[in-house]
Amino acid sequence: MTVHDVRSRHGDSKRGDASDGAILAEAVGGRLSRIDGPAKITGAAKYAVEQQLEGLSHAVLVESTIAAGKVRSIDTAAAESAPGVLLVLMPDNALRLNTATDWLGTPPPDIPYCPLARDITFSGQHVAAVVAESFEQAVAAAALVKVAYHETPAIVDLDDPKAGDGIPIDTMTKEWGDAQAAFAAAPVRICAAYNTPREYQAPMEPHGLIAHWQGDQLTVWEPSQWLDGMARTYAEWFGVPFENVRLVSPFIGGGFGSKAFAYGYGAVAAMAAKMLGRPVKLAVTRPQTFTAYGGRAATRQTVALGADAEGRIQSIVHRGVNETSVDGMWVEPLGSVTSIMYATPNFSSRQNVVRVNTVVPGALRAPGENPSAFGVECAIDELAYEVGIDPLEIRLRNYAEQDPEANKPWSTRRLREAFAAGAEAFGWSKRAPEPRSMRDGNQLIGWGVAAGTYPVRRAYGEAMVRILADGSVEVESSSIDMGQGTYTILAQTAAEVVGVAAEKVVVKLGDSRYARAGVTGGSRLAGVMTGAVHKAATAALDELVGLAISDPNSPFHALQANTLVVANGRIASPRGDGPEVSIAELLGSVGRSQIEAMGDTMPANSTADDRYKNYTTIATALSHTEGDYSRHSWCAHFIEVRVDEDFGTVRVSRVVSALDSGRLYNPKLAESQWKGGIIMGIGQALLEEGIVDRRHGRIVNNNLADYLIATNADIPDIEVISVGIPDPHSSALGGKGVGELGIVGVAPAIANAVFHATGKRVRDLPITLEKLI
Amino acid sequence: MTSKTRIPIKLQINGHRHELEVEPRVTLLDALRDHLGLTGTKKGCDQGQCGACTVHIDGQRVLACLTLAAQAEGRAIRSIEGLADGDGTLHAVQAAFLEQDAFQCGYCTPGQIMSAVACIREGHAGSDDEIREYMAGNLCRCGAYPHIVAAVRQAALEIASSTETAS
Repeated sequence: MTVHDVRSRHGDSKRGDASDGAILAEAVGGRLSRIDGPAKITGAAKYAVEQQLEGLSHAVLVESTIAAGKVRSIDTAAAESAPGVLLVLMPDNALRLNTATDWLGTPPPDIPYCPLARDITFSGQHVAAVVAESFEQAVAAAALVKVAYHETPAIVDLDDPKAGDGIPIDTMTKEWGDAQAAFAAAPVRICAAYNTPREYQAPMEPHGLIAHWQGDQLTVWEPSQWLDGMARTYAEWFGVPFENVRLVSPFIGGGFGSKAFAYGYGAVAAMAAKMLGRPVKLAVTRPQTFTAYGGRAATRQTVALGADAEGRIQSIVHRGVNETSVDGMWVEPLGSVTSIMYATPNFSSRQNVVRVNTVVPGALRAPGENPSAFGVECAIDELAYEVGIDPLEIRLRNYAEQDPEANKPWSTRRLREAFAAGAEAFGWSKRAPEPRSMRDGNQLIGWGVAAGTYPVRRAYGEAMVRILADGSVEVESSSIDMGQGTYTILAQTAAEVVGVAAEKVVVKLGDSRYARAGVTGGSRLAGVMTGAVHKAATAALDELVGLAISDPNSPFHALQANTLVVANGRIASPRGDGPEVSIAELLGSVGRSQIEAMGDTMPANSTADDRYKNYTTIATALSHTEGDYSRHSWCAHFIEVRVDEDFGTVRVSRVVSALDSGRLYNPKLAESQWKGGIIMGIGQALLEEGIVDRRHGRIVNNNLADYLIATNADIPDIEVISVGIPDPHSSALGGKGVGELGIVGVAPAIANAVFHATGKRVRDLPITLEKLI
Repeated sequence: MTSKTRIPIKLQINGHRHELEVEPRVTLLDALRDHLGLTGTKKGCDQGQCGACTVHIDGQRVLACLTLAAQAEGRAIRSIEGLADGDGTLHAVQAAFLEQDAFQCGYCTPGQIMSAVACIREGHAGSDDEIREYMAGNLCRCGAYPHIVAAVRQAALEIASSTETAS
């Protein structure tokens, strides 16, 4: 990125608000303000589809208006004769593409791929596209394309009588002990069903791309959580070498899981660009973002808990179902938190998926853990009331001292500390236990607690670090920053290792020509990339110091020192004797224009194929239970709701969350991500729901006014407390995941608070007023 | 439908005069982004629901996606690119957004900042609750809301104190 020349008269942003004092803002662990901030607050940050290209044409998608059936005919006459139209794309005139390898690395079947459908499996499927000189002309012409269908009955959702029980996913089965017998024998038993609806990522930047071919070289400007993975897909679709595809994505306007893959519309735009021989921009409209890729699948869970009279869990029996598409497979792992949060001698979890006429669902912030926690964290609250003990006490009573599923010790688990710190800050001890026992006028007040967790997903990474002639440092990686703070924490890492000020570090991200990177998802990027940059920067520093010691032209040559120190961009002997010169002066005197080092955390014997697989699939990712430990981040949410007794409206009035993400590379930015997750969780609990029209299988609220996400007026002040300690088993610098953790457990904490306020247990999200009155 | 006709439009944006020829149906948002290369103003929904395209026209906050470019002719348009001083000194709201970390992905941010400047000018930044209400038209999916409130509060105080000093 370019660090823009902006000055501030309102405080020194370089220092952040270093309330922790002990750590300089610029060091790893310091509260440095985000270095890409000036570009974002001045409008200078160029997002992918904002590139201005000569000869740019505009594509607009035409989508199916039925959920199941076949396209009988497409009448393009009016569209083709409309002003400015360059091309109307349909299956009949589409280029023949190859099917690409999937993200797991599964070799593709040898069948052609067409991103425009003749066989319709969901409403909103791409059936045609219009390309025109201007955006307005393309929009107008797309409305003139007439598609005739042969419609067949659709399975609209999980509640459809035709949906059935689905397909068992054996890899999701987890069992130990005899869960059914132990449940039947338990003195205290609860069993309930918990449902979550279709939910959508809804990043503020809609998806889209600009595709531009020059010969057999393709450049794609597209918001991306995974440049190398998407470049591989484009390359395989069009049968060109991986190196021929360049993905560019310097800033990403939010992803939340939705921007990791190349989707059908990308193939449409790249195909049109190839056919027309000019660049094509395709901006997915906001309504189309609800069907151009999938949100979180609707889920159903049954959780049965058997316990002794003191509330100690004897058995957990869990059954889950998630929807998937007619011809795609998405498994939302619903037993992922159920199996590790609490100690139990007997356990059984199984899961089915049910095919319905929807776009294939996808990843949304903490896929699996999020709905899983909603089930088990509501269920244990119900058990607390059944036994008659405090909801916090029952969680401590069933605390899992080690991973009950993997039978391994936790690398670190500061959940007990999170409960203690959160309860103290929230004032939990003042809670009156009975439902409907706390009120303020006509507002019923409820206090709820729930825990959350997310596994530490680990992978290998690489990074390029250069020490330049002017003494500045450059970091390059094809990883990305969609708001997590990658630019900033990598600058902090390189600055600390090399010994320069963070403002002397320029971080370049979001271009697949840079050092390769795996997916930015599953909260893995910060741990992977700080490790890779640390390694590369260390190698660069070693070379710099080596030159200073041994080069005959170095001012340190006569000193015969074993080592030198670099601090604030200046090199000196640790003993304080001898000269002190700047990095620039040293490089000048030894005649070097730069020092360059690639840091790579892959195993030493890795082949080129291993590396390609590592950065373009997730096949080489390391399990969180690999080796001697089970690695997860943890959190506890304490939430106050106010429910209007007459109208049933729920407002979240107070949130205190204590979180263990291990070491924080930049607490200022990590706190923002945690709060962002919590806020998305508030929306999930109270507002968010994709509503399906049962006649047409259509998402009717496919826009930001009807698909409700939290607004500023919905959100109170939120207090977050870090209880983590460095976890050396989780990452090179001791951090665990941040981005997904915050949302996990928020919805059950709110549901539990609503029960405490009203005495009504709402088990299907969102908790809307009609469920309370 | 056969609108080949383009019309000449003169727009006054951030103190500069721009002349362009566009179809009458071109929105102010697309005129800024696609025709003038002023991409700081963002397109989040193109249907007046998210606030990412907020700009000022004659000092009032408006949604550029619901305004035709032709409607803005002869009026003073200010976009995020024109908010900092000519020498690059940040506006108090911009500086407060950076200091409070009032954004993550940055896509809603220009609209939030333009809304915040107007919110303060309108006198709607008197309390945190008032800020939340009058900033509720600008969605932020990253969930920076508490930090946006803190930034608007901080900037409002700074603007008030600098106005007092000046008078």
